[in-house]
Amino acid sequence: MIRDLKRVRNIGISAHIDSGKTTLTERVLFYTDRIHKINEVRGKDGTGAVMDSMDLERERGITIASAATYCEWKKHNINIIDTPGHVDFTVEVERSLRVLDGVVLILCSVSGVQSQSITVDQQMKRYEVPCIAFVNKCDRSGANPAKVTRQLKDKLGHNSVLMQLPIGLEDKHKGVIDLVAMKAYYFEGDHGEKVAVKEIPENMVEEARAAREEMIDAASLFSEELTDAILEEADITDDMIKTAVRTGVIARQITPVFLGSAYKNKAVQPLLDAVIDYLPSPLDINNEAIDLDNNEESVVLESSFDKPTVALAFKLEDGQYGQLTYLRVYQGCIAKGDTLVNSRDGKKVKAGRLIRMHASQMEEVEEIPAGHIGAMFGIDCASGDTFVSPSINYSMLAMHVMEPVISLSIVPKDNKAQINMSKALNRFTKEDPTFKTYVDHETGDTIIQGMGELHLEVYVERMKREYQAEVTTGKPRVAYRETITQKAVFNYTHKKQTGGAGQFGRVAGFVEPCDEDFEFVNKITGGRIPTQYIPACEKGFLACMHKGPKLEFPVTGIRVTIDDGAYHAVDSSEMAFQAAARGAFLEAYGKAKPVIKEPIMKVVIETPNEFQGSCMGLINQRRGIIQGSQEEGVMSVIESQVPLSEMFGFSTILRSATQGKAQFTMEFSSYKQVPQSIAEEIIKQKQEEKKA
Amino acid sequence: MLKKDLNLRSPIEKIIGIENITNSNFGAVLSRAGVGKTRFLVQIALTQLLNDKKIVHVSLEDSMGKINLRYNEGYTNLVDSIGYVDPQKAVRLWDDINLNKVGISYNEASFDTTKIKDYLKSFKKAQLPMPGIMIIDGLNFDGEITDILEDLKSLHQEFSISIWFAMRSHRDEALSKEGYPVQLETRKELFDKALFLQPVDNKIQAIVLKDGNKTNQKFLLEPATMMLADQDI
Repeated sequence: MIRDLKRVRNIGISAHIDSGKTTLTERVLFYTDRIHKINEVRGKDGTGAVMDSMDLERERGITIASAATYCEWKKHNINIIDTPGHVDFTVEVERSLRVLDGVVLILCSVSGVQSQSITVDQQMKRYEVPCIAFVNKCDRSGANPAKVTRQLKDKLGHNSVLMQLPIGLEDKHKGVIDLVAMKAYYFEGDHGEKVAVKEIPENMVEEARAAREEMIDAASLFSEELTDAILEEADITDDMIKTAVRTGVIARQITPVFLGSAYKNKAVQPLLDAVIDYLPSPLDINNEAIDLDNNEESVVLESSFDKPTVALAFKLEDGQYGQLTYLRVYQGCIAKGDTLVNSRDGKKVKAGRLIRMHASQMEEVEEIPAGHIGAMFGIDCASGDTFVSPSINYSMLAMHVMEPVISLSIVPKDNKAQINMSKALNRFTKEDPTFKTYVDHETGDTIIQGMGELHLEVYVERMKREYQAEVTTGKPRVAYRETITQKAVFNYTHKKQTGGAGQFGRVAGFVEPCDEDFEFVNKITGGRIPTQYIPACEKGFLACMHKGPKLEFPVTGIRVTIDDGAYHAVDSSEMAFQAAARGAFLEAYGKAKPVIKEPIMKVVIETPNEFQGSCMGLINQRRGIIQGSQEEGVMSVIESQVPLSEMFGFSTILRSATQGKAQFTMEFSSYKQVPQSIAEEIIKQKQEEKKA
Repeated sequence: MLKKDLNLRSPIEKIIGIENITNSNFGAVLSRAGVGKTRFLVQIALTQLLNDKKIVHVSLEDSMGKINLRYNEGYTNLVDSIGYVDPQKAVRLWDDINLNKVGISYNEASFDTTKIKDYLKSFKKAQLPMPGIMIIDGLNFDGEITDILEDLKSLHQEFSISIWFAMRSHRDEALSKEGYPVQLETRKELFDKALFLQPVDNKIQAIVLKDGNKTNQKFLLEPATMMLADQDI
């Protein structure tokens, strides 16, 4: 691995599902000589693209897990993380973005900025990842890269600027004009591998000049040298423009837009040039960790090889040689045999075989220096763990992880499946922090939880395929919550003074709704409850939050304030005050008008215009709230909020209502109160379950 | 409480009467470009939102984002016209009533009432309360739109929904003797309510062109907010 970090790029390829990111990655690998044959996604040859290493991905034509790979382009090392395109798997996207220095945002030149592009963009903002855009599928009928560039501005708020112009669109798409070099690029050979640099076609010279001027205008904001050159009407060199745009990209102030068609092998090589020219190297990015030995203060990491090592495990995979842990090294260097400490549990580990990946193929390496992405065998850890040299105790900042909103009971078909299922669940929960599992002690069932129906479906399928664990699944269940809607007071005395050691504790105060999950406020004065018993009171209240008294759903959004109480010099104990708090909670809860809350999902449907009305109707019938609908060319986008409980089986219904032409994405939005009629149904159902 | 206060403060209450909005079949707000038809229609829609009714705002010009922006602005202007309002209360109320607003953005070329019909049908099917009014903004009344208006008329009859239009007039066109711009004159039987907005000095004058006994009444509006000019805070 090269040590000159100026020549390293860690990039991701993010986009809406079916925008062609896997196809683009395949082309990149082909042109950089990593593969010698191009396979298409769901290709006729039955092989599937190299980046989709899981069978399931090949079958469904979507990329589920991020496959990492590296390649070389013009003496630069490019590490690429291919990210999943479905919202149900956004934890994968988020994890990838955490370890990347830059992103190529792919947009379809026909559909433009779609719902998931917006989600991915928000995630890029959260992790402050610089990006360049590639408007793909310029060969498709209805291609309109100028519109997509505008949408980047209007919908995502990017300062997007065209760096190229297309030479022909749709079936006449032949190549691109580079507005920096002012040359036309054509792509010849069986797979477009030969780039022919020619003069700009005469009929496009004027258009190209105007577009170049616009581009230079936008770039000049980031370079005084370029501004001076414009004002003095001096020669503007390519380097001046590139430096200015690069500065703008790294500051996330400008998004250069490139064009082409990966499928038709057009303009992928100039995109690779752009990755090198405009996306940051590890040296350009500020990475921070927290020092666990120093009040969790943040520490800036240096991409230096001599400093103590700091690396983040961002993805795990089960391979034939055991667990493969994908790492990004931020500081120092991991060499074979090095001792590292997992800062989560303090366990020491020895670095075993180190590799760098090319999807499912691997190449052994001696070391993974700072700034690089690699993988390590023989280490047992969870995704998101930080590995450091024994001399320091740093942790990379916690990743933003959402709570699961849906659960499903699974029952193994036989004993063998039971063992394999355990293995699979153990692996999946380590790999994916949004996937959780537990055993329901009342029914004895194993419950899996995740971010959506498809999310769980894929794990059930993976259990079967990768672990030969056949399971039957129950009905998906929504993760309801309970909360209170008004203030209620309590004054509860826990008293047990009949023989043996007595118990005495009195707590008084009130509960009220709040925005946080749980808040505890101590307003006891004059030692009415001695300080040492206050934590016990909090513990007692907190214990009640796990299972609500109303329907045994977890309770959220409650502030408990205690302002009075009493104790007994002999009979009071922590246990007595915990019991008093539990009693007080039950006393107040019923009076505070408890209600059930349900997860509401943000659902975005993209449908051909003719089905817009019926799709809006589908949302209406599901207690959904339509926030708006927008026609974009031949497609309409409908944004809505729908309760998760109404979304089961929606994909089938949407397919049949739109002749399979519409698609939708769904992500968690918020918890809202369930309407009374539905709450009654839930109560009834819960009572029946109890009886059974 | 805040809802009531806001509706009392609304220019619509004085000019048309909030009760009157949903009693109409077809209503029109006319003016030449840039005077404030859409902003006035937004104020009309806001009165319904504040009455907990659903509204559908169809635009053939604005994107969904812009429609949302216009409503945010209209609501802010209305809140500001009251004087001091607890900002948290105002935001909470907006979050509540905003859920009843559906903004639909169509391309003018592909605008087709069957899509709206499909949507309205689903209310009946799911036994949901029908939207109180539908705003249609951006329809070109200089073109041949008889079929579209006929279709919308039948939507009004089938679903009992009042439809309010933005109707663009032109500076250089003469008014009829009743004071109607030509866009309204040729279809005046269809509309039972119509208002004309025109700049007068540094204000906007709203003239009631058609509305029973209110006809010919005139009101002055602030051009920046579309609130009544003579209201004290």
